[in-house]
Amino acid sequence: MTEIEQLKQEIQILNAKLQASEKLGRTYLQNVAHQLTAPLGAIKWSIEGLKDEHVPIHRKGNLLRSVYSQATILVHLIKNFALMSNLEADEQLGQMRNQEDVDVMLLAINLTNDFQPQAADQGRKKIEVDDDSFKTVLKTRKVKAEKNLIAQALSNLLENAVKYADAESKIVIRAEKVDGFGVSVISVGLPITEEEKKRIFERGERGAIARKQVPAGTGIGLYLASRVMKLHQGTITLATEGKTSCFTLVFPKTRIA
Amino acid sequence: MKPTHQYTILFADDEPWLSEALRLSLESRNYNCISTASVSEAWKILEKQSVDVLVTDIMMPGGDLFPEADSSEAGFHFIRKLRKQWPRLSVICLSVIADSEKIQELKKQNVLYLRKGESPLESALKLIESKATGKISFD
Repeated sequence: MTEIEQLKQEIQILNAKLQASEKLGRTYLQNVAHQLTAPLGAIKWSIEGLKDEHVPIHRKGNLLRSVYSQATILVHLIKNFALMSNLEADEQLGQMRNQEDVDVMLLAINLTNDFQPQAADQGRKKIEVDDDSFKTVLKTRKVKAEKNLIAQALSNLLENAVKYADAESKIVIRAEKVDGFGVSVISVGLPITEEEKKRIFERGERGAIARKQVPAGTGIGLYLASRVMKLHQGTITLATEGKTSCFTLVFPKTRIA
Repeated sequence: MKPTHQYTILFADDEPWLSEALRLSLESRNYNCISTASVSEAWKILEKQSVDVLVTDIMMPGGDLFPEADSSEAGFHFIRKLRKQWPRLSVICLSVIADSEKIQELKKQNVLYLRKGESPLESALKLIESKATGKISFD
């Protein structure tokens, strides 16, 4: 009898878990739909605006920039979805497919160029790579990693920083002297509470303040970044002070080549 | 001096870059566009000056006006509140919501709903123009 009771309980727990996961999937899909619709809509309108002969030519540059930054957002979003499913497979295999020696500073500069129009669009924010820090910490050394994956992890940090930083603020990418090697994205904007810090890397989790201030978000960016770091035997850390947040991707010593 | 026929369109959208094309097209047709990034900012403008059409989003932060509101629907609170004060103001809602109940509620409040990305820019433009001027333009 007790065994049956136990089984019953287990089934109930499993059922609850399944329902929770289904609900997560549903909200996630709604979110995804919203996040694909908004940039695509903006692109469509920008193109129509470009064709509009009433709009003077000197004002059309903004529309072109908007097309570019919205396309960047879309590419980034779609890469996250692909990563989501690939990660499962990669972790099961316990290995990565395309490891190479990555110049992290160059990667940071390229991503910065990619996100700069978006940062400018969303409240004249500016991204800066602290190249001195890279030269001091890494010198000419590289990091052995799967480039696409860490590019995506770093993009996710950057995208959040662009989204949540104060208008006209500066976002900095900096190399860190830690045990191994760290690359940080530092921004000033929405504060993250101690309570939120504990769950911020979980899938589908978005801070209460973040939800209140910025409606759009899938809540998978930081989760994916942490998964990517785990795959590299590294970690992701978060340090905050007031409105300043510093997210760091930490690679173990063994990955510095 | 502003020409007397210049109409004022007020935008409330925390993601103004998503509707920049619409503002540019309106401005190029001599409409005066005011951009605000929150409902509280928009409210202040409405109190201060006359506005011909308000174009508002739904999903945006509540700010000082609705500090408790969830950002997924601060726009609804905004519309309900402004309907009490300005029942005849032309309001167009530009958002991505798909929930038909919510869209019905907007209709009840005499608000026109335009789905971001679905309506062509030209239709949005014509709609705002007709709301502002009270007539349909064919240029």
